[in-house]
Amino acid sequence: MLPADMEQLSRLRRAIAKSEALPEETRSLALGVPAIDAALGGGLPGAALHELSATPLHLGVAAGFALALASLAQEAPKERAKETLWIATDFGNLETGALYGPGLDQFGLATDRLLIVRVARPVDALFAMEEALKCRALSAVIAEFGEAPDLTATRRLSLAAKDHGSLGLILRHGSNDAPSAARTRWQIASAPSVPDEFGGLGPTAFSLELTRNRRGPCGTWTLTWDHHERVFAALSLGVAEADRDRPDRETLRTG
Amino acid sequence: MWLRRIATDRIAKRFAPDEALIIAAPVKGALRLSAVNDAAAALGLRAGMPLADARAMHPAIAVAQADERADLALLEAVADWCDRYTPLVGLDAPDGLLLDVTGCAHLFGGETALARDLVRQLGERGLQARAAVAGTVGCAWGVARHSASLPPPERGRSASAASRVGVVASGEERHAIAPLPLTALRLDTDTITALAQVGLKHIADVLDRPRAPLAARFGASFVRRIDQALGLEDEPITPRLPVPAALAEQRFPEPIAHERDVLGTIERLAVRLAHVLEQRGEGARLLQVVLFRADGKVFRLEAGTGAPLREPRLIARLFADRLDVIGDEVDPGFGFDIVRLCALVTERSDPQQTGLATPDHDAELAHLIDRLGARFGLRRVMRQMPQDTHIPEFAVTAVAASASLPSPLRGVRAFTPVFDGERSTAVAQRRRSGWGSEFLLTTASNSHDPPPQPSPATRAFTPVFDGLWGEGARELAVSLDSPFPTRPIRLFARPEPVDATAELPDGPPAQFTWRRVRHIVARAEGPERIAMRWWRDEAGRTLMRDYFRVESRDGVRVWLFHEWPADPHLAPRWFVHGVFA
Repeated sequence: MLPADMEQLSRLRRAIAKSEALPEETRSLALGVPAIDAALGGGLPGAALHELSATPLHLGVAAGFALALASLAQEAPKERAKETLWIATDFGNLETGALYGPGLDQFGLATDRLLIVRVARPVDALFAMEEALKCRALSAVIAEFGEAPDLTATRRLSLAAKDHGSLGLILRHGSNDAPSAARTRWQIASAPSVPDEFGGLGPTAFSLELTRNRRGPCGTWTLTWDHHERVFAALSLGVAEADRDRPDRETLRTG
Repeated sequence: MWLRRIATDRIAKRFAPDEALIIAAPVKGALRLSAVNDAAAALGLRAGMPLADARAMHPAIAVAQADERADLALLEAVADWCDRYTPLVGLDAPDGLLLDVTGCAHLFGGETALARDLVRQLGERGLQARAAVAGTVGCAWGVARHSASLPPPERGRSASAASRVGVVASGEERHAIAPLPLTALRLDTDTITALAQVGLKHIADVLDRPRAPLAARFGASFVRRIDQALGLEDEPITPRLPVPAALAEQRFPEPIAHERDVLGTIERLAVRLAHVLEQRGEGARLLQVVLFRADGKVFRLEAGTGAPLREPRLIARLFADRLDVIGDEVDPGFGFDIVRLCALVTERSDPQQTGLATPDHDAELAHLIDRLGARFGLRRVMRQMPQDTHIPEFAVTAVAASASLPSPLRGVRAFTPVFDGERSTAVAQRRRSGWGSEFLLTTASNSHDPPPQPSPATRAFTPVFDGLWGEGARELAVSLDSPFPTRPIRLFARPEPVDATAELPDGPPAQFTWRRVRHIVARAEGPERIAMRWWRDEAGRTLMRDYFRVESRDGVRVWLFHEWPADPHLAPRWFVHGVFA
């Protein structure tokens, strides 16, 4: 093919793509718990960066929450063919354990739709995350940081997520008090589960605290995750511990 | 091509040009000269002389110790440099290089011009070389080293490049090697001594003799060497580096040093390479950029891809990433005068119909994997693959994402234990332990739609589709949290020892201290006994682990185990192996 032909062809392609491109609707990810969805204004904004923090003991639960969100994101009608990317640092893998395939099953995430990138330094994780957010073939990008990325880094990631309509989740070790450009910030801890009929461990229970929400109120909830139906459900109050640490803040609670 | 004085040239910069320099190496317990430079040769010193003799003749002479490894490294560096003439460069250690210039010579203005350019350029870099171009390796080897028509160059670097180049026209091999001494045939010293004893000194002496008696007396290899030199027997050059399937290169009269220029050049080359690959219907799986620095250093950057690739823009981005990571190692110095882009491995890649408006997700993802791979290493971008074993550490393995093909069972849950012989212990133990799974298994086998027995070939990847087991079983499964033992979401590569106390010897722990935090156990499930494979402890017992799922009062859920059978004299050792969500 002559170079001139190639040029013309690519020009035509661009023209058609322009006229046919559909406006990307801003999708939001409904968690299925009315109280939370109301606080978030209909669901977790899809084209944005969110920050999940957990203290080291609760990183397993935090990973579970992130993967549950990713699995919900994969369920969205336009995202069915897409994959989830998990970015882990070598240090994080040693310190908190590496993602374990058989356990991921609990979150409805098939391992052949989960890509894992292992990087040596947090800087690399930032690079990988920014590149991944620009990729339209991923439904969610999750990156784990031992040390919190600074405001500039999160702003970059946030912009990348917004411009390319992708869902970015930062999983931070420790509590989140450093400034960040994330749309929402969550503090995640595990909550005692409801025992099953045999007295064994019940389904995963999360204690979520929405510590920052740019478009709505914050709040504290206790949820369980049903991996068969891939839905969150509010845990009944009789079991969930009442939160006493934020009396000054208006809290939304599920009934 | 023969580097006559490689050993002395390597260190010659430290000495005055006309100073005699000899290199000594221990041979059979005595220090002998292994190399001499021209000045020393003029003083009557020869390689092979004992060092003591040389010192006696010339007490003030400079002596250096032989370093064969450094010599070889230099030879390899020169070979890298010679890549600019032909991709087929073979090492002929310790001091020669074989270049297959077939089809390349015209690019440099003919064989003679190529050889002269080679010798001149090496001379400028302080290496004395003699080169010969001939139809056979043997002939070129002999002519480069021994031809009388190539006068031994005079001291220093005064001799012109032209005088160190011999070109043997096709068909003239016989004529060219006939006057040379027998050493030009690449024979071992014993054979040469034996031939000298019977008065055979030149190749002409043996060329026309009947072969059979020669072979009988001096060995078949001797006759083979003659045949090889004459071209009666084929002798391929073994290239040092894989010969690329396709390449494109750009030479610069003035070296370029800016990274931007290099990347721009790579993209232009990628366009040319893409044309070649497109005509062949192939795409590159392994790409290499070779940067020839003006002072002779050669850098090679490689980038692998997950799928055949020939899109120039994507190729350029791969190398942009690669350069970003190892940019400091690739020091441009005075600039690069040749940039070459090779496709080392190619694969068939049929043209695909792409949507005009709809994005091509697979291609985009493949490119992301390639780019992350180029930056961090392809093995660091991975997918998890289930393995057919019940030992937790081995139940999953990481496979490079670029190597794994998209699974036909996309979106299907993969991890499902399969009850074959290997697992029977685990199942039996689980039944005894009163876990929910026993109940479930019974129910499942009684239902109308029992789980199909997997065939051996597919058993590791048996998918369970939701609803496969009938409604009753499914509802039960929901209420039991999981039809199969739940596995942690994070697994430690090395189980972490914890202090734990159990109320009963085989029972779950009542409390445990992990990372200096004490946890009171609120609920526990187990034990699930998992036997290791064939390995045994010191007493010859099968190693087993009793696993417990444990939830603390704070809601922390971990996977604890203790080894079984425990030593009765010691408290059982407990470990945390993973964390549940």
